[in-house]
Formats: sequence, C-alpha cells, structure tokens
Amino acid sequence: MSYHTLIDSQASVYSPAGRFDAHGIGAAQEWLQAQYQAGVQFIIVDLQEVHFIDSAALATLVSGLKSCRSAGGDLVLCSLQQPVAIIFELTKLDRVFEIYPDVTDAANAASRHVSAWAQS
Amino acid sequence: MKASSSTLRIAVVTTFPPGSGSLNEYAYHLVNALRTKAEVSELILLTDELPDDQAYPEDGGFGLADGAAPVSIMPCWRFDAPANAFRILRAVQRVKPDLVLFNIQFATFGRGKAPASLGLTAPALVKTAGYKTIVLLHNIMETVDLHSAGFASNALMARTIQAVGNGVTRLLLQADLVALTIPKYVEILREKYAAENVILAPHGTFETPPEPDYGCERATRILTFGKFGTYKKIERLVEATQALRSNGHPNAELVVAGTDNPNTPGYLAGVAERYREAGGVRFTGYVSEEDVPVVFREAAVVVFPYTSTTGSSGVLHQAGSYGKAVVLPRLGDFAELVEEEGYTGAYFEPDSVESLKLAIARVLDDSEYRREMGRRNYLAACGLPISEVADWYVLHMQALMQQEEI
Repeated sequence: MSYHTLIDSQASVYSPAGRFDAHGIGAAQEWLQAQYQAGVQFIIVDLQEVHFIDSAALATLVSGLKSCRSAGGDLVLCSLQQPVAIIFELTKLDRVFEIYPDVTDAANAASRHVSAWAQS
Repeated sequence: MKASSSTLRIAVVTTFPPGSGSLNEYAYHLVNALRTKAEVSELILLTDELPDDQAYPEDGGFGLADGAAPVSIMPCWRFDAPANAFRILRAVQRVKPDLVLFNIQFATFGRGKAPASLGLTAPALVKTAGYKTIVLLHNIMETVDLHSAGFASNALMARTIQAVGNGVTRLLLQADLVALTIPKYVEILREKYAAENVILAPHGTFETPPEPDYGCERATRILTFGKFGTYKKIERLVEATQALRSNGHPNAELVVAGTDNPNTPGYLAGVAERYREAGGVRFTGYVSEEDVPVVFREAAVVVFPYTSTTGSSGVLHQAGSYGKAVVLPRLGDFAELVEEEGYTGAYFEPDSVESLKLAIARVLDDSEYRREMGRRNYLAACGLPISEVADWYVLHMQALMQQEEI
C-alpha cells in the first residue's frame, strides 16, 4: 500500500496494490479515518495497481464516499483495471462514484473541487 | 414524489416477522439496517396479512427510542390471493413514498402458479404508476429446477411454466433496478433479456462469527469434514497422512468427521477396513451441532479431498468461521471461485498423494503461514454485514432520485 497527500492539505491519494479485499481494508479504513480527522475534503483512490477487489473493499469505498460527501467533499476513483472495472459495472457502483482515467485527471478534478469549496 | 437526497421515504413490499413467509428474516435485518441510515426518513412495510390470531408490532418491533427512522407496517396483500398486485399498488398510492423496494422471490405471492405470477406484476404496475422501484430478487426462474421444486410434473408443463416465467421476468425487469445477490444471476439476466438495469448487490450477513483463537489448535491434527463417498473421497488423504507420519511428522493424525453420503452407504466403513493397519486415523461418525466447534478448533488444517466440485463449499465457510487454514484441490474453476470469495488455501493436484502430502506439510510446518491463512479465511467467512449492504441500496436510491430531479 502507498499513499501521499496532494494539493495543499485538502486532497489525498490512496494507492492500494494487488488484492484489495477484506484482508487489506483495515489499513485503508485507518488511513481514511486519519484523512477525515485531518479535515481532508477530497480523496482519490488510485486503483492502477489493483487487480482484484471484493465486496468488503467496495463497502469500504462506499463508506468513504458517504463520509466525504456528508462533509461536503468527495471520494473519487481512477485508473480502474479491467477486472476491477467489471466489478464496478456489475454492481453499478460506477454510476455512484466519479471515475477518472488516471490520477492526473482525478487531481485536476480535486483542484477544481477544492477551489470551489474554498470560495464557497 | 420528490425527495431531497437526505430524506427518503421508502415503502418495502415484503414478508416480515412474525409472518412466516420466506425472506421474512432477511427483511427484518435489511429494514433494521436501513432505518439507521441518515438518508432514510421513514420506512413503511407493505406486508402480507397475518392470520387472525397474530399481529405485527406497531413499530416493526424496533422501538422508537434510538433515533432511527420510524417504521410502520401496513398489511395489504395475502399469500396465494389473485389480486395482490392491485392491492399493493393501491397501498403505494395511499402511502406516496419516494421509492418502493420489493424484497421478493418467485414464490413470494403464492404457492399456486397463477397467484405467484400475478403478484409478481406488482413492481411493473407500481413503476407504471410513476413510482421509483427497486426489486431485490432472491432467485431467478432460469435456475429453479421446476421438477424438484414441485412446480412441474412433466416436460411440457416445465416448458409452459418456463415460458410464463420468462414473461414474468420481463415484467420484473420493468423496475428501475433489479438487484440480485449472485453474479451468475446477473450474467444470466443480462445475456438472456439484454437487461441493463440488473445489478449485483451482496446478500449481506446478519451476524459476525466471534474472532477465533488462532493458537488453540493441535499442530499435528488434520481434519476433513462432511458426507463422504461421492465426490468427497478420503483414500488419498489417508495415504498422504501415512506418508507424513513416516516422513518427519510422526504425530500427524487425521480426523475424518462426518458420515457416508446417503448415496454411498458403507463407504467410510470400507475405507476403514481397507486401511485398518494405518495408524493415526480416527473416524468420528456423525458430529453433533455442539461438537462441531470443538472438532474445527482442534484442527491445524482442514483438507478438502474433493474429486469434483459443484461450486463453492459450505464446509469451507465453516472452516473460515473458525479461522482455519485449508488445503484445497486444484479442480476446474474451484480455486478461482474460492479466491473470489476472499478465501485462500494451499492447493494440491487431486490425483496425487505426494502433492497432497506436500500441501499439508507446508501448513503444518509453518505456524505463521497457517495463522495468516486462518485469519484471511476468517475475514472471508465474516462476509459483508447487511448494514453495509444497506449503504449500497441507499446510494442507488439516491442516484435514482437524482435522475428524477434532473
């Protein structure tokens, strides 16, 4: 797992790798919790290196999405590989999350979101 | 019928306790989860009518003191009655919810073919009347064995029922969303009916098994559990155990827990006789419910000596709930299925005693590997709590409501 903060302190990127499943969600949940407590508004989950995702990991992302949106932010996804994209399509969660082709596009969206939030 | 995204009034067409219709317990847990969501302002359960000597609790039995959304119950349909769809529609029109969720399966509305089919037109009627509808469909006609289920006595009848079933399925697919709990069901409906509104939603679990004590096993004990003789055959496992005992694991012991498969009476007795000279093998016979946890807890590894498979395994789920390491056959897509469910194991070639011996030895010899595998399998067995599944439904509901607002 790797992660880093991006765009001031308002947006962060989380980059799980390999299997993103029940076994690995503890670390993701802890990290997400730390972001909420730090007041991060916008979270990007970069799935470039993920080749498998299960329902527990999807639930973690759904929970993160709800937390971010209830605080006026968002949790978005990027770089979905085919096996992962299939799961999002099967569950139609691809209609619930904002999904970007790569982390650059997601970061640009984050910038726009953070700017709009700062002006509001 | 407009709702802001934070105040969903949801009508749920369902059976519900103390009613005895199928899916009643599922409904209880799903409603209990939904009512705690901040986005849900009210739940109105449109249930079947109870016999005269029974009554639903006024608030669904949940109480109002915990700050969750209020739940009310409106009995408005009767099992096996022909006019249920119209009665449900009238009830929905009285209640005027933002959205109607149907928690149903093919026999929800009746035992008879006509009332069962007529009841299943309700989602299409409600949708046509202008209400957002989600159908949570727990089975599909395409996978029901009509003969075994007692619905069809001959091939012609089966074909006729299937044709009617196809029509009913098309009507169900008129809903805004049809949620299914098994990926295969989603594939079937998408392919057969070109349905784009079918989604996969996990079934969810009602209870989480207690965290096991990973260090309590007997490090030499190998367990196999089930009904043996058809596709669960233990000869190679007995031989692998013997090989282990004479190659560095003198205390290895195999516990064969369970009975003959009803189709192969005498199988285990035959194996016991054939290997009567072999040491370290114990046959427990039938294991009572209260002894099952003990049998699993004391095992260092659970072996699945299958020669073929018919999908996933209930015993694997049991082994996972006790946090056990497992040894699995590399058979067809079994490994893939198992891994998709989040389980993991040491694999062996099903026709090789040596391969089986090595897989078991790897687990017995490495306590850290064993513990890690047991932990992963426990997490897989825990599944997804229904409260988290409810979050998915809420998100889909909000997305549907936003479509309307656009």
